[in-house]
Amino acid sequence: MDRNQLAKWLKAPAKMGHKYSLHVVYFCTGCGIIEVPPVITARWDAERFGVIPVATPRQANLFLITGYVSVKTLKAIIRTYEQMPEPKFTVGFGSCPINGGMYWDSYNTIKHLDKYIPVDGWIAGCMPRPEAIFVAVTHLWTLIDKGMADGYKRYRENYKYYRANQEQLYGTLEWPPLFPIEDKNE
Amino acid sequence: MNKLKETLESAFSDLQVSIPEDDRLTIFAPKDAVLSILSFLKSKGYEHLALVSCVDWIEEEEFELIYILSAYMQKDDEYTDKEKTNIILKTRISREKPECTTVIPIFKNAEPYERELHELFGIRFEGHPRLTPLFLEREYKIPPFRKDFDTREYVKKVFDEIPFVEDKIGQT
Repeated sequence: MDRNQLAKWLKAPAKMGHKYSLHVVYFCTGCGIIEVPPVITARWDAERFGVIPVATPRQANLFLITGYVSVKTLKAIIRTYEQMPEPKFTVGFGSCPINGGMYWDSYNTIKHLDKYIPVDGWIAGCMPRPEAIFVAVTHLWTLIDKGMADGYKRYRENYKYYRANQEQLYGTLEWPPLFPIEDKNE
Repeated sequence: MNKLKETLESAFSDLQVSIPEDDRLTIFAPKDAVLSILSFLKSKGYEHLALVSCVDWIEEEEFELIYILSAYMQKDDEYTDKEKTNIILKTRISREKPECTTVIPIFKNAEPYERELHELFGIRFEGHPRLTPLFLEREYKIPPFRKDFDTREYVKKVFDEIPFVEDKIGQT
């Protein structure tokens, strides 16, 4: 353990625990997933940073959206995100979740991911190098330290807006709201 | 391959058979002859339907259906002329009434291809057991792979209309 961080550990042990045990959902959207196997295996070894892929969203707290998000995939993303226990962090990987990227005019690819679920950070590039994931992870540590990685809190507070956006895209959703929605008619 | 061309031309009338390059045979056929040509080619050993595809010729107001056939490699044999050949069968159907007979009785693997064409081009295949949605989640007025489908307008109308959550919070 880094001795310089001892004060931080004593001050906020839970925060430090969240920082160094990022369990990422092994969920593939689009082409960016091709960068993830080298990242988690021997070549780049994400376990140095405490990042381990897990099988189910119930055990995870980091969600990497790797690549373009089609309308059908977004449904799976929302359901996966809602299953993850709090605190949870989302990182958009690549240009496409940011603003559509090369799928700007596509009939079946959503353009801005943060209209539907909250996103804590973005990695720009098409494709980003595997090192960029580590830059993002270390940056996420800083955000967690400062309490700025608050996507899950924003989701809970503004759930009615997120749910309204999801319903506007799909018409009706097959699952009930995650949080109670008050004054929906407002 | 020239031999196959001659047999095809003698067996069927009003076909245009050409050999654009080596190991490739292109057949233009009327819509009604597709089934009989496919079963004829299958009996000749071209048992692999690789692809069913479609081109939208909007100026001629026609869809062009394309079937690509090839033959499987034989065991303990040399790599014969037949196994190299790709056969491309093309047929035109009208754009206003896009209907065609299914080829599932001859090639069972045509089912997902025809479902895909039904979803993306709006072509109805008579006799297909389930023409249900395959990839798409939303409903489109014009099937999205047709040339007159305006993607920019669609994106503006659907995805750009959805507001940013930050803006919504700012309003209240």
